[in-house]
Amino acid sequence: MNKKVFFKAVIILLGILMLADIYMALVWVPPIKVESLTERIAQRIFYFHVPSAWLGFLAFFFVFLGSIMYLWKKVRKYELLSAASAEIGVLFITIVLITGPIWAKPVWGVWWTWDTRLTSSLVLWLIYVAYIFLRRSLPDGKKRANLSSVVGIIGFFDVPIVYFSIRWWETQHPQAVMANGSGGMSGVMLGTFLFSLFVFTLFFSVLLTLRYKQISLEDKMNKLYKELEQ
Amino acid sequence: MKLALAILKKDMEIEFRSKESIISMWIFSLLIFVIFNFTFETSRLLMLQIAPGLLWVSFIFSGMLGLNRAFLLEKENGNLKSMALMPVDSGVIYVGKFLSTTLFMLIFEILILPFFIVFYDIPLSAVMMYLPLILLVGSIGFTSLGTILSAISVHTRDNQILLSLLLWPLITPIIIWVVKITGDVIEGELSSSFFPILIRITLFDIIFLTISYLLFEFVLQD
Repeated sequence: MNKKVFFKAVIILLGILMLADIYMALVWVPPIKVESLTERIAQRIFYFHVPSAWLGFLAFFFVFLGSIMYLWKKVRKYELLSAASAEIGVLFITIVLITGPIWAKPVWGVWWTWDTRLTSSLVLWLIYVAYIFLRRSLPDGKKRANLSSVVGIIGFFDVPIVYFSIRWWETQHPQAVMANGSGGMSGVMLGTFLFSLFVFTLFFSVLLTLRYKQISLEDKMNKLYKELEQ
Repeated sequence: MKLALAILKKDMEIEFRSKESIISMWIFSLLIFVIFNFTFETSRLLMLQIAPGLLWVSFIFSGMLGLNRAFLLEKENGNLKSMALMPVDSGVIYVGKFLSTTLFMLIFEILILPFFIVFYDIPLSAVMMYLPLILLVGSIGFTSLGTILSAISVHTRDNQILLSLLLWPLITPIIIWVVKITGDVIEGELSSSFFPILIRITLFDIIFLTISYLLFEFVLQD
């Protein structure tokens, strides 16, 4: 019971924090110092785009970990964690793939270019969509767990190679601002970004927990059905 | 290793009795050449630029036909279960199947290549001698992952479409690299990135052959 109340409280808190995050990112934080007005407005999408990308990658790392743990320990919950994580990862990369073009159109003049980061995000998305499809088209059971775990591991090793293989085209994508020191970000902007990252991480954790619970319940239900049939 | 070769021999015997896979792959590739010719009705110069891509698109599309069949017969005849029960390292079974899919792929590629050269008037130059090497490493890249994923997708309802969904995004690096260096060979001049790319493809092959070899045990497991 206590757990339930706690989870509800977290969800309410998350709602408030998300509203605050939207306000901070879209209104409160000062814009970047560039000439064009559209660019100054468009840049604000950064506060949603980058955290989503990070969490998308994190989700796929969880898929990999879950897959390895399943094949090693053969405990069902690891496979279910991978499954839930893949779905949430695809969701976050979808956010990235939608917010990216919205920013790119006013700034680059095109919705899409076949640049390293864009292409590899799309391929990443395709890999994990295929993973979800695979899981859905296999009958429930140990076989499904084994096969999807194998794909979860192969996919994870492939992603950095995909990124590396596209790299000989010069990237247009803005460099990772966090990597090269301040990178033109003022303290307030950095603060807003970190806040946004925190809120998105919380959002991610709540979604992952919910989806994991759902999948586990589904799994339990299927087991009961099978027992009834026998 | 003996077992792997036995699987290879078995697959070759089945194939050469009917020649079904290789002939259907070959006709399919021919069809792709014809269709591309009409969809990209263009000057010869431009055609030469898209030729490497066209060649590999036809290899990959036709290669899917072979890969789809790789484990279909095994499953229909209940061989997958007996393979899982064999008292050997499952990786060896993977190696056997990998050898047979790769050999099919290479035979088919050699059969279709003359038609590609004739239809698109590909200039023959000295650097053409690198083409077999490119075909070899490129095809291994395709079949190394293709074989294990075919063994996975054969258990699903729509196994054919699912194999493409799984395999194509994973082999994007191979496609990018192989098309680039095939372009070098067709142009008749190797660029400075030719050998580094060849090495990258070989590394890709080694990485995914090893991973697939290690993981194949879990694919057969029930």
